[in-house]
Amino acid sequence: MRSRIAFAASGIIICLLLQTTILEYIKINNIKPNLLLVFIVSVALLRGNIEGAVNGFFAGLMWDIVSGKVIGFYALLGMYLGLIVGSLNKRIYRDNIFVALFFTFSYSIIFETVVYFFGVFLKGNTDFLNFFTKIIFPEALYNTASAILIFFIVVRADRRINKAQKLLRKY
Amino acid sequence: MKGGRNVLHLLKKKAFLVLLVTIVLFIAIGITSRNNSKLGWFGNLFNTIVSPVQNALTFTGNKVDKTLSYFDDNKKIREENEKLKKRIDELEKENEELKELKTRNDMLMEALNIKNQLKEFDYISANIIAKDPGNWFNVFTIDKGSTHGVNNNSVVVSSKGLVGRVLVSGPFSAKVISIIDIDSAVSARLTKNRRYVDVKGDITLKDKGLCKMYNIQPDIDVAVGDSVETSGIGGIFPKGIKIGEVKEIRQVNNELDRYAIIEPAVDFNMLEDVFVLKSKN
Repeated sequence: MRSRIAFAASGIIICLLLQTTILEYIKINNIKPNLLLVFIVSVALLRGNIEGAVNGFFAGLMWDIVSGKVIGFYALLGMYLGLIVGSLNKRIYRDNIFVALFFTFSYSIIFETVVYFFGVFLKGNTDFLNFFTKIIFPEALYNTASAILIFFIVVRADRRINKAQKLLRKY
Repeated sequence: MKGGRNVLHLLKKKAFLVLLVTIVLFIAIGITSRNNSKLGWFGNLFNTIVSPVQNALTFTGNKVDKTLSYFDDNKKIREENEKLKKRIDELEKENEELKELKTRNDMLMEALNIKNQLKEFDYISANIIAKDPGNWFNVFTIDKGSTHGVNNNSVVVSSKGLVGRVLVSGPFSAKVISIIDIDSAVSARLTKNRRYVDVKGDITLKDKGLCKMYNIQPDIDVAVGDSVETSGIGGIFPKGIKIGEVKEIRQVNNELDRYAIIEPAVDFNMLEDVFVLKSKN
């Protein structure tokens, strides 16, 4: 359990640090991938709804703190994202990469649409199609691409932790 | 049977927990959406730990970015070019100030007791160490905080003009909301006829580094190329900081209902160093 928490915490912090600094230099069309969202989805797919929700909550909270507008908005979204991803995908091959990519893509679109609705639409910018083609859709594509790497890392780490725990139980 | 009941119990407990966390988060959103909330210490703690790392990463990113661009060009020429560009910036700023002084001269003749408000400030130089993690907003982090004299609502400028204001300041870092962010609104005026307008960020324009000018009264004479500066209304931004120039004027329904697109004097895509204004008294 301790190693899982350590992995999740370091994952969140690394994603966040990359997102606020280095990714700024590899933007395509002014869009950068949302690694944290990919991380939340990957962990929730592999670990189920409780761990997914807790991981999503803390990832969102860190996001709130770093982005600095209000505290609680992304924590709320992250928690529900982890919860929903974890609960819906119980019966599907959870460590299949194509399943992960498909879900990353669709949840990216849903997540960013919700962010758009509360952060942008309610402030009077109602041109959804424009934002969809300019921000939401390209970001989802970019997320899916980065999910190949992140999901791979999360799966590897998960297997390793499982192995270590099995060994521990033996003795 | 017993197992089934246990699962049901656990489910109820889980649902209850989720509900509880949701409510707590809603309260947190409510509290922190007001200015100067008391929950700031919580974020400061994390940011204090994280900001040196961000600083290092952005520094390396900058360096790599610059090294890559040296490929096709001589280093010396670059350096010289940069120096000259800086000089041009300085001169442009000076020129802008002189122009401004010229247009102001008549006004000042009438009211000799008006001081140049910007002279009442000290400049704290700061570097941008992190940007917003998402794609929607335009908030960035600088490496100076309350220990250096940066407070909430401190005004941030660059050598060319207005950048934004400080949203939250921690001990060693601060969040700055730039004028092209959707949540930013600045009371402004046209330099040539001193008529008041509002400058707001716009989400479709922010990628191009532009913003919008609203509330243009029907009788205001405005043309492309007009200079826009802060008006001093609202108490956050001091009077007379250059915001930018009118790039385009658009009619919405009829000639009286119009807005303009402003090209800020600051290039937000290239921005690296900024200055925070700190009042001298």
